[in-house]
Order: sequence, then C-alpha cells, then structure tokens
Amino acid sequence: MNKFVRNLIMWVVFLAVAGAAPHVLGIVKTNVLVELATFALFAVSLNLLLSFTGVLSFGHALFYGVGAYTTALLLYHVEGFPLIPALLLSGLAAGLAGLILSPLLVRVTGTAFAMLTLAFGQLMYILCLKFREVTGGEDGVAGYDIPPLNIPGVASLDMLDSTVFYYFTVVVCVIGIMIMWFFTKTPLGQVVVGIRDNSLRVDYLGYRVRHTKAIIFALSGFFAGIAGSLFALFQGVVSTDGVLHVMVSFYPIMAILIGGIGTFFGPILGSGILIVLEDMIMRYTERAELVTGLLFIIVVLYVPGGFVWLWMGLVARFKARKLRMSKEVEA
Amino acid sequence: MSPVTAMYVAQAIHGLTYGMLLFLVASGLTLIFGMMGILNLAHASFFMLSAYFCYQVVAWTDSFWIALILAPIGTGLVGIIVERFLLRKVQKLGLGHIGDLLLTLGIALVISEAVKTIWGTESHQVLIPPSLQGLVTVAGLEYPIYRLFIIGLSLVILGALAFILFKTRLGMIIRAAVSDRDMVSALGINMPRVFMFVFGVGTLMAGVAGVAAAPMLTVFPGLADQIGLDAFVVVVVGGFGSLLGAVVVSLFLGELNSFGIQFIPRLAPVLVFLFMALVLSFKPMGFFGERDE
Repeated sequence: MNKFVRNLIMWVVFLAVAGAAPHVLGIVKTNVLVELATFALFAVSLNLLLSFTGVLSFGHALFYGVGAYTTALLLYHVEGFPLIPALLLSGLAAGLAGLILSPLLVRVTGTAFAMLTLAFGQLMYILCLKFREVTGGEDGVAGYDIPPLNIPGVASLDMLDSTVFYYFTVVVCVIGIMIMWFFTKTPLGQVVVGIRDNSLRVDYLGYRVRHTKAIIFALSGFFAGIAGSLFALFQGVVSTDGVLHVMVSFYPIMAILIGGIGTFFGPILGSGILIVLEDMIMRYTERAELVTGLLFIIVVLYVPGGFVWLWMGLVARFKARKLRMSKEVEA
Repeated sequence: MSPVTAMYVAQAIHGLTYGMLLFLVASGLTLIFGMMGILNLAHASFFMLSAYFCYQVVAWTDSFWIALILAPIGTGLVGIIVERFLLRKVQKLGLGHIGDLLLTLGIALVISEAVKTIWGTESHQVLIPPSLQGLVTVAGLEYPIYRLFIIGLSLVILGALAFILFKTRLGMIIRAAVSDRDMVSALGINMPRVFMFVFGVGTLMAGVAGVAAAPMLTVFPGLADQIGLDAFVVVVVGGFGSLLGAVVVSLFLGELNSFGIQFIPRLAPVLVFLFMALVLSFKPMGFFGERDE
C-alpha cells in the first residue's frame, strides 16, 4: 500500500509539473522539453540493450534515422497521411530494421558487437548521404506538412501549436517508456536479463537465446524509431547529419552513463541533465560539446555508473549510519 | 605501358599510400587493444591532433621536417598523460570494457572540440616541403614524390616496430603481455610502465601518420573521421591484437578504397563496412584473432 501511495504521489506530481510546464516556461523552454522527452525515449530504448541485454550499441542512430526518414518520406509523398499511423509505421520500420540485422547481431557480443553496430550505423549514414534522389542527401527531406491529430468526433489538434505538440510528445514518450518498463517485468524481459548475466545458463535452461535477443533488438529499434519519428515531426526537416550521424548514437550512451547504467530510470535523469546543461551552456559558448565531453569524462572517472548510483550509495550510507546509531543507542 | 594498365598501377599506388597510413594508425590501435584490452576510441583523434601540431610547428618554424619530429612526440606525450592519469584510473574502477570505451569516447569528444576551439573550424593548408614536391617517373609512369615518401616513411616505421617487437627484450615482454598479461606481471615485470610505453608509442605512430597526411589532406576538424573508422575496421577484421592482421587488412582496405572510388564511386565508402559486417558475421574474432574480448 505504501508503495502504491508513493507511486500515486509521484504520478500526480509528474503530471502536474509536466502539465503546467509549457504555461510557466514559455515557448522556447517548452521546445527544450519536447527535445528532452524525445531524447529520453531514445535513451531508454538504447538502455534496453545496454543495461538489460548487456551489449553496447554504437549504431543506435540507425533506428532513430529509419524512424525519422520513414515519417518524413511518408508525409512528403503521401498527401494528408494521418499522424498516428505515420508514427507507428516509423516505429515498425525501425523495428523491422532491427529484425533484419538481428541474424548478424546476435552472433557477437562485447567489443565486436559495438563495432558491428557502428559499421551498420555508418553504412546507413553513407547510404542516405549518397542516394540523394530518395533522401535528399545532406540537405535532407524538408517541407512536408505536419498532420493534425484527429480524434474522430472529439477534436482535431493542430500539431504546429508548440504547446499542443509538447503534450502530444509527452504522452507518446510516457506511453513508450511505460511499455518498455512493463516489458522488463514480463517473463520474457526476465529471460533477457538472464541472458545478460549468463547466456550459457539460459541456453541450457532451454530458452532460445538468439531469438530472444532478436526480439529485444526489434523492440528497442521500434521505440528508437518512434523517437526518430517525433524528431521528424518536431523539426520539420530530416537530414543525415541530424538523425544518422555517429554523434546521434553517442549522445544517448552519454545520457545513460551520466544518469545511471543498469537502472531503468537512470537514462531519463541523464537525458534531463544532458539536455538542460547543454541548453544552459549554449547561452555562453558555441562549444557546448567541449563542456559535455569534459563532464562525461569526469562522470566516468568519479561517478562510475552515474548519478542514480551515487544517490543510491548515499542513501545506503545514510541508512547504514542510522542503523548503526540505533544499535549504539540500544547498546 | 597502356593507359589502362597505367590507371590500374596508379590506383594501386594510391591505395598503397592510404593503406600504409592506415596501418600506422591501426597498428598502434591493435597493439593497445591486444595488451591492455582497451579499444581506444580516441586513437584517431590523436592522428588529427598531430596534424594540427604539425600545422602549428610549420607556422612557427617554417620547416616540415622539424614538424615531422616534434608533432608526433608531442602527440605521444599527450597519449602518455592520458594513459597515466585517465585510463589507468578508469581501469581500476572495474567497469570492464564499457568503462574504457566510454572514457576514450569522452576524450575523443574533448580533443575534437578543443581543436575546433583553438584552431577554428576552417581547414588549414600545410605545404609539401620543396624537396618532396613534384612528380617522379617510375617505369614510364609519373607519380607524386610525396606519396612515395609516405610509403617509404611507413616502411621505415614498420621496420622499426618489427625490430623492437621481435628483436629486443622489450618487444618480447610486449608480445608476451599480448598473450597473457597477468602471467607477465607475475614474473615481476612492471606492467603499468609497459602499458604506458605501448600507449605512448601507439599514439606516436598515429601522430606520424597525422603529420604525413597533413599536407595531402589539409588539416580540418573532420580529418580523422574516415581513417579512424577504417582503423577500427582493420583492428576488428584483422583480429584484436594481431599485428599481422593489421598489416594485411590495412593494405587490403587501402586498395578496396582506391579501386572502389575508381569503379563504383557512389558506394565506395560502403564497401569497407560491408566487408567488416561480412567478416564479423562469419568470423567474430577477425581473421588473425585468437580471442574475443
């Protein structure tokens, strides 16, 4: 009951803050929040691989890019294509990309996995750069209409209104993150954690390790694709450097590391720290990446595992001290 | 010589030049990986840093030859500092490979941004020294002297590296450490110092490649992008820690690149990654690799 009440309070606070934010902060800051929500969804989808499957992907931008390009191309070529189908199709396309690559990806782990995903990510980047008649190359796809969200019989929401779009993004991202959260609690999700900890043993128990991994790649790809689609809807332009560059793969890794590796909600905290910090630094210098890079090194060296672990360590130390003190009192 | 043959030979030498540069970068990377188990994502950044050092030294002294000596040494020193004060620390944390990958990723970011902050984002020209300008005629084929100089320089360094590795006591220790570093450490060898040396030499070699490439490619912030990714492909495909693999695959990639640009210009950059994906799918440890770390 205690946990239920705590969760309820957290949800109420979250909804109140998220709901009030655009009215308090103004349009510019609201757009930063849209970026944050999209980025958090992207980071959490990558975290499914990094923290729950135990593989480090350097090419997650591939899925993000597939999602973004799918949305952009659909809206550009098909007149009046509705919003939600575009979003879902983008996710499905990215998930399909994950499935297609999975026969190769499931065979390797560790550094080889990191390098293979890096290779696929770069492959996609170069392909999109070179086939400019489809993707527009460096210039990208732009000038497509952002469709309104039609709820039959209720309303038609204009997505060009930044406050409306903010609410839409937050809802999509929260739903996506919740689905991934519940997935980690399912038996299948537990098998994935088992594969991370000891794949040989899971194999001997009769589970299909490679099939399971393929499913998680597809799932992670799906949500990365949704994040990419949101990016396409938000920016109104999709270019290779924006969605497929190798830095797009590196940023969520930084967010996971800064927030807390091995936890589910750490990456969201990390995304928040990274985006807000970048927004603040951008006001003073153009070289924001220099500062984030330095911060990143400091975090790796001094806060190994990220801020969530730092916090949990402090809580544990506090509790241990309280316990010791109470024992001393008893004695 | 018929024009077609001449074209093939010219492309082959082009490929050889790039393959040799690639080898200089990749050999340091693979040695560091083999010994320390660190895939140094910042390796190519040292290549770029050295090219900038070269530009700066040439700007001060007006001599490419002084730059050829000073810039790699400076880069090697930066490498040693990074190893001594950052990498050694993160290795103690017990994050495993993820820790190393992330730290070197951070270093790569910082170097690339620092370079932009100090030297700006525009590209800088480093002139080829007068003695290496012009063309030379070899067997009826004209060829730029500077590219031949790069091939020669790389061969000298390859020879020196081979001598150190296979003919000296230090090389013996390094080779032993590649196959089993705990055992070498147990025999009373000061492993941290050997690590530092290898890391320094590895970055120094990347530095030499950076200086050699500077006049050819001009110095700009994206200088290391292609060679960096190619070097990773070399290390992965050649087999982690295998010097032989690095030589063979570097030269092969150089030719693949060169002839790819000649025949299918649009897809040339894709070839390298397709090749790596293919190899990794069937030989996850690479051609000459003995273990998977």
